[in-house]
Amino acid sequence: MPPSTDPFYAGLGQAVRIGTELLAALIVGGGLGWLADTYLFASAPWGLVTGLALGAVSGVLNAYRAAQRWK
Amino acid sequence: MDNPLHPFELHPFGQLSLFGLDISLNQAVIMMWVVVAVVAGLLIVAGTSKRLVPTKLQSLAELLVDFIRGMILETMGKDGMRFFPFLATLFLFILFCNLLGLIPGLYTVTSQIVVTAAFALFVYGMSVVVGLARHGVKFLGILIPPGTPLWLLPLMMPIELISQLARPLSLAVRLFANMTAGHTVLAVLFGMALSLPLLIAWLPFAFTIAINGLEVIIAFIQAYIFTILTCVYLGDAMHLHGQDEHAH
Repeated sequence: MPPSTDPFYAGLGQAVRIGTELLAALIVGGGLGWLADTYLFASAPWGLVTGLALGAVSGVLNAYRAAQRWK
Repeated sequence: MDNPLHPFELHPFGQLSLFGLDISLNQAVIMMWVVVAVVAGLLIVAGTSKRLVPTKLQSLAELLVDFIRGMILETMGKDGMRFFPFLATLFLFILFCNLLGLIPGLYTVTSQIVVTAAFALFVYGMSVVVGLARHGVKFLGILIPPGTPLWLLPLMMPIELISQLARPLSLAVRLFANMTAGHTVLAVLFGMALSLPLLIAWLPFAFTIAINGLEVIIAFIQAYIFTILTCVYLGDAMHLHGQDEHAH
């Protein structure tokens, strides 16, 4: 089984992971902000703006945590 | 030249419905049955000969079991072993969906986001249920990273909430996107090889073969990542903030 033993495959697995980690949090953050704008408060565009900012922060946080685990 | 997205299209064989629900069979459903049959058959045959000096098939099965076991012990510790049957099934199913999909003419089930999203949502829901069952209301403390000062809480809780909700999305999209992208590249390259004159067609054809080799590695790595992240999420739910953490 390559991935567990060979450091190359383990590294490849981690690298593939971090990219999606960044993107997914951004989409979720923006999506939640947009939902709050449209259905909860009539606050457009501020919910989307705040949501995207929080999503970006949490994406970086997720990527950082993923990299930490790898040490 | 054929549409490179053509291999992902699903066509139902005839019409079947149950209480108004459309349950007609298509390639993806049949392919999932094939995968289940192949995995089950392989492991049953491998498991019947319990020899001390293993046969080839038996040692392959032992290697797989040992690999999954190592993955669980590394991320969840000993009490994670109760999830072994679930995680082994998940890993083998995704791995064989990816690998069998690489055989030309067979459908890649994991290139449908419905399938990967169903897995990801189930896995994430399971981790929430495990966390709530184990820690009760204290499980919501997962939204507060340890050592956060009180005045930062209004900022940290939304951030943590987003990072939690991003888990199923990234799990589903990663597997789906990798499979779809890989097969699209293969289709484009092979389409080029078919439509170009023979003098130059060998080049994209050689690349098709090389990328097919790469796709075998990707198939393995994606199954591995999906399973190890499942382990990590379940482990997070079981040991809040790494209290009594084992590895790392």
